[in-house]
Amino acid sequence: MRSKYALRFLALGYLAALLGIPVALVFINAFQDGIGAAWEAVTTPEAQHAFYMTFVMVAVAVPLNTVFGILCAHAIVRQRFRGRALLNAMVDLPFAVSPVVVGLALLLVYGRRDGWVGEWLAEQGIQVIFSTPGMILATMFVSLPFVVREVVPVLREIGTDQEQAAATLGANAFQTFFRVTLPAIRYGVAYGVVLTTARALGEFGAVSVVSGKISGQTQTATLFVEERFQRFDLTGAYAASMVLALLALATLLAMNLIKPKEARS
Amino acid sequence: MTYLGVVALIPLAAVVAKSLEAGLDTFWSAVTNDQAVASLRLTLIASLIVVIVNALAGTLIAWVLVRDDFPGKGIVNSLIDLPFALPTIVASLTLLAFYGPDSPVGIDVAFTKVAVVLALLFVTLPFVVRAVQPVLLELDREMEQAAESLGASRATVFRRIVLPNLLPAIIAGGGLAFARAVGEFGSLVLITGNIPFDTQAASVFIFGQVESDNAVAASAVSVVLLLVSLGLLLLFGRLSKKALKHEE
Amino acid sequence: MSIVIDSVSKTFGDYVALDDVRLEVRDGSLTALLGPSGGGKSTLLRVIAGLELPDSGMVRIAGQDATDTPPQRRNVGFVFQHYAAFKHMTVAGNVAFGLTIRKQPRWGMLARTARSRSDEIEAKVDELLKLVHLDGFAHRYPSQLSGGQRQRMALARALAVEPRVLLLDEPFGALDATVRKELRAWLRRLHDEVHVTTVFVTHDQEEAMEVAEQIVVLDHGRIQQVGTPRELYERPTNDFVMRFIGPVSEIGGRWIRPHDVEILLEPAEGTSEAMIDRILHLGFEVRVELSLGEGESTWVQTTRSRAEELELAEGQIVWLRAETESEPVSA
Repeated sequence: MRSKYALRFLALGYLAALLGIPVALVFINAFQDGIGAAWEAVTTPEAQHAFYMTFVMVAVAVPLNTVFGILCAHAIVRQRFRGRALLNAMVDLPFAVSPVVVGLALLLVYGRRDGWVGEWLAEQGIQVIFSTPGMILATMFVSLPFVVREVVPVLREIGTDQEQAAATLGANAFQTFFRVTLPAIRYGVAYGVVLTTARALGEFGAVSVVSGKISGQTQTATLFVEERFQRFDLTGAYAASMVLALLALATLLAMNLIKPKEARS
Repeated sequence: MTYLGVVALIPLAAVVAKSLEAGLDTFWSAVTNDQAVASLRLTLIASLIVVIVNALAGTLIAWVLVRDDFPGKGIVNSLIDLPFALPTIVASLTLLAFYGPDSPVGIDVAFTKVAVVLALLFVTLPFVVRAVQPVLLELDREMEQAAESLGASRATVFRRIVLPNLLPAIIAGGGLAFARAVGEFGSLVLITGNIPFDTQAASVFIFGQVESDNAVAASAVSVVLLLVSLGLLLLFGRLSKKALKHEE
Repeated sequence: MSIVIDSVSKTFGDYVALDDVRLEVRDGSLTALLGPSGGGKSTLLRVIAGLELPDSGMVRIAGQDATDTPPQRRNVGFVFQHYAAFKHMTVAGNVAFGLTIRKQPRWGMLARTARSRSDEIEAKVDELLKLVHLDGFAHRYPSQLSGGQRQRMALARALAVEPRVLLLDEPFGALDATVRKELRAWLRRLHDEVHVTTVFVTHDQEEAMEVAEQIVVLDHGRIQQVGTPRELYERPTNDFVMRFIGPVSEIGGRWIRPHDVEILLEPAEGTSEAMIDRILHLGFEVRVELSLGEGESTWVQTTRSRAEELELAEGQIVWLRAETESEPVSA
């Protein structure tokens, strides 16, 4: 079947041109001045701090969004209350909002000068914008929906039979949740966590607005890449990008390991 | 609920509030400002082009991944999600490496409108593919076989049997892609040059306004952008459901 | 433990699942709730379990009002149609679940006591697995078991907490015919051994007739009749019950059991005329299909010897009469 090969060629060609080759180039260009230069570029104090900031974002946003995600999914699927459909729709909000708008929104609320809450917080000595808390909030916003969206279908799929069985056997709500529900959804949760982490790692637009991009202080890895580029330090930019790309590939690997288990349950 | 409120709802409400702070007139003038309009127009047109290309390419890729078999297919399948996992700024850099002034094959479309489309294509790649794949997997092959036994050619089978069944998924995926493209920022930053009136997308325009301390204008255009993406999601969602109903 | 259902009603939106149902289930009995799909039997079972709350009426278990008690505290064992196995736990884990959550170790408990408790649980689990013929499967996972095995595990799990009442919701519905028959007999034997008040739901009248001591026929949320299998078969109170339990023939505007019809070669008092369409020899029974005129047809069951005696043949005109002891029901 000639057409089969034609289709395959077209599809793979498109993917190579758009995805494959550009990404491969990052790796190549990172080493354009040699491995030593690349290594140096990502181990400067600024670079290290930038990766550290990214780590902090992830370490805070992911657990919080996971807990929220599980509780929210449970509420949406298992409980009945007014505004349930609204909650369901609103969880998807971060998908519809441009990251820049997210940054702007946080600025307006938590900004020191006219922020709704920001002014008051500034008086208490708490700075949100141009500081770590603001960046964490931005990261939390954009990575909010993933755990919820992965857990909801799994919760629906497994149905209430197991939970009812646990009830007839004497388990109270707590016991049922921790011993029956949670283990049953664990792969959905895991997958959601991986997606959340990937999103948090890669966040750029919102933290761009909110951080002030102060090198060595409020700069995440992604902002670091931009800064290096703007200072014509291409090796630095590519090297840092390579690290981020490696993390992305690790994420993909995790996704692929978990996805079949999720499908099986 | 409170969590959701603090993190998401209140800040968004603030944007809306700010946009109207100086009155409707200012809102209107901010939105109809030439540069703003140019950026919005670029964003919408580029996103539309991207959605159409994705509808075609995404379906094609999904088809090849489901119906075809070749060594390394698993890896290719996993790589589809790369745009989800890769930070957008890195995406900008990678596209610049291949399609910019230092391109190893001599293609240089950096700082042109093509670059905008390119960047958007990159980040929206997975949406249609991942929406169509499961539907294609579930598709009852016997339908196609019945059609063939009745004399339909492969192309006809695709057009009249397979495609209608895929349409809801294509539309749904397209809607998500559209909403994402409209708000995209990071991947545009390095490769487009962000030239006002030329290659400046709406999100970049808003960013510029924020940097210039022009919060009201930024908010106004943001509100427009928000309405557009929400509207698109609703529209595509409804279209998708309608297409689904026809299949029942 | 006896169960008393006192004027229980339950609606789901427009759909009336239970309509003023009154029922008494004797302690230690084996009762079937029988009826067509949607008739209300599953709902009634779940009301007894506390998994559904009635809109009105009362449920009494062992003489106490249990209507407001949550399922956790009713001490009823429930077996689901699709097993509801805890997929992430082993068979032993599943069976032990009810015991495990009750005997939570408390702070300050001696390690020795904690260990002896888990030994206790293990012993009990082994005992139960032996009872349901699953000894040796303790460390397998439900996904490695067949449907029949999973259901036996579910049964062991429910029995582990020594419930006062055992409830089974179409327990064999998801299994194939041979396994179903096996498990039916097995349930009967289990009940003989364990003697706990058992109520099960089924839409299969053969199953109800084979297993239960007492059958409750439900349709459209109302009890149609309560009785032993024999009572329901021989003395149905209305034609729904008659038609649901056992075969019926309609002759002369009345319903009658096909084997309660006498075939005569000459007209007599109280007979209807009919023409033989077909004679089917089905092993021990002979089925005679007849036309009654005006397009109506029916069938009658008779023995091989009788059919030979009468020298029945196709096309023959005969006369049909209800046998004297039987009580046909008006259609």
